[in-house]
Amino acid sequence: MSLDLNTLPTRRDEAWKWTDVRAAAKEQGGLSDVGLPKFTLPEGLTIMEASSDLAIASTPMSRLTSHFSGPVWTVNVPDGFSSDEPLLIEGLNRGHIRIHLILGKGASLSVIEHHASDENRFVNIDMVIDMKEGASLERAIIHDDPESCLRVATTHITAWRGAKINQYVLSFGGDLSRLETRVAVMGKEVEAALNGAYLLGAKRHVDMTSYIDLAVPDCTIRQAVKGVVTDKARGVFQGKFHVRKPAQHTDAEMRHDALMLSDNCEIRSKPELEIYADDVACAHGNTIGQLDENALFYMRQRGIPAGQARALLTEAFVADVFDDLEDETLKDSLLRKIRDWLKETK
Amino acid sequence: MLKINNLSATVDDGNKTILEALSLEIPAGEVHAIMGPNGAGKSTLSYVLTGRDGYDVTGGDVTLDGEDLLDMDPEERAAKGMFLSFQYPLEIPGVPTMTFLKTALNAQRRARGEEEMGAPEFLKKARALASELKMKPEMLKRPLNVGFSGGEKKRMEIFQMMMLEPRFIVMDETDSGLDVDALRIVADGVNKLRSPDRGMLIITHYQRLLDYIVPDRVHVLSGGKIAASGDADFAKTLEAEGYDAYAA
Ligand SMILES: Nc1ncnc2c1ncn2[C@@H]1O[C@H](COP(=O)(O)OP(=O)(O)OP(=O)(O)O)[C@@H](O)[C@H]1O
Ligand SMILES: [Mg+2]
Repeated sequence: MSLDLNTLPTRRDEAWKWTDVRAAAKEQGGLSDVGLPKFTLPEGLTIMEASSDLAIASTPMSRLTSHFSGPVWTVNVPDGFSSDEPLLIEGLNRGHIRIHLILGKGASLSVIEHHASDENRFVNIDMVIDMKEGASLERAIIHDDPESCLRVATTHITAWRGAKINQYVLSFGGDLSRLETRVAVMGKEVEAALNGAYLLGAKRHVDMTSYIDLAVPDCTIRQAVKGVVTDKARGVFQGKFHVRKPAQHTDAEMRHDALMLSDNCEIRSKPELEIYADDVACAHGNTIGQLDENALFYMRQRGIPAGQARALLTEAFVADVFDDLEDETLKDSLLRKIRDWLKETK
Repeated sequence: MLKINNLSATVDDGNKTILEALSLEIPAGEVHAIMGPNGAGKSTLSYVLTGRDGYDVTGGDVTLDGEDLLDMDPEERAAKGMFLSFQYPLEIPGVPTMTFLKTALNAQRRARGEEEMGAPEFLKKARALASELKMKPEMLKRPLNVGFSGGEKKRMEIFQMMMLEPRFIVMDETDSGLDVDALRIVADGVNKLRSPDRGMLIITHYQRLLDYIVPDRVHVLSGGKIAASGDADFAKTLEAEGYDAYAA
């Protein structure tokens, strides 16, 4: 069975208007490949190859994985589990992949995903994360594809009472890439922080889309995404908080701030709040700007060369979305990647 | 040391001429003060000397120890020893003061072909200076100038100046915003930097600062040029009589 291009979303679909997967897929091989991810598990966890279908297939790209991927790679994290070691997911380099994580009551898990493909690949990942009462997840996504790779990675998180989510994304883009996070908040007192940074050069594209569906009271959502684009790159941010009527006392804040460092780069952003509850504190902010020329002069007057001054200011601009990352080693490695990118692009 | 010869400069894309054939020479070892009415072009002169974008030189030249400054980038001038204490110091969000200053110091040293200063030596020097300037040590950890009071920012300028040990110093209204105690501390620091091979240009509106830092010469900037000059006592006359006599 091979993939019918007509099943892929196009610019005519509102949710995909800035990320034309169908057009990009026309130039790509391996559209119906099966991927083979590699898991490094902390002690006490095992992986299963489940064949059953996952119920959630709410986006066109998710539906495709259920046709084309092999097994559903499933990790069941027992109630109360905790470990110093993270669950490491690699080999996300080709084909359709389905992953299912179940975090039992009070379980706590740190997940690190490396999204990096070979040249000329199509990657479509669908990940489902169920978080039972009081479960806690720290998730880091490091995305760096070659300029010839088309990638869509969709995550569906269901969070029950008291669950805590801390997600950090660092993306350097690819030919066309979309990292989508969908959270269904089903229990009270859920706390979620969904932070990310994208740094794009050449003709790279990344689309960070998120949809948070709140249907219960007393939840706290914090989202901060920073972008830096240069050359002819394109960054897309689409964020939506859907606060349903019963979701009273929702405390939610969405921020997207981006720097455009060249004349030909592009940023598209669509922050959305859809609110039906009447007693909530919800805010969003969106800024797109350039580096502060006055600050640059100040730094150069002190002897810091222009390129280095720009890199310092840019690093300071993006780095704060990772301030609360608990794993210090991981934080340092993310900051090092940002610094390396700045060194190469200046 | 610093020679400004017939310097003319415009702002606002050449639409506004601020300096018109200004000449001034500050020999090594001397401290000169510049006074003058608001909008006369004192800050403009400081920016032209340090190479800020938007301040266009339309004539004349400036040399430091015989080397032409005007063709150099701001960072090259800094490495040659030019330092400006800003009238309005900028906030640098996200960059801790110590990181900023160590980066600056070592960039200057690299540019001069000198060895970089190691972290222990740098820290030791910074701590000693901070206590001399009566600055709270935690200020050095905070992002540079972010949330600092006006007076704290000015003190931070002096701290940077003393860390970098520049050869030629321009101070643009460093005294404004300082309380009397801070003024004395800052002046002590500046006086300590006076030396036979260092020059200083102090821009101020107030005689008070010049009681602490006694200048060798005092100039009035008006009408785009140096309209009058005198010795240290000239500042007292200017404060008493105003600038009407030198109006453009
Ligand atoms: N970037 C600029 N664009 C347009 N006009 C400018 C610019 N910079 C300075 N000016 C104008 O140039 C003139 C000189 O300004 P400058 O700041 O040099 O004065 P000053 O002597 O330092 O005044 P003060 O004593 O108030 O600090 C002023 O009329 C000011 O409005
Ligand atoms: Mg001024």
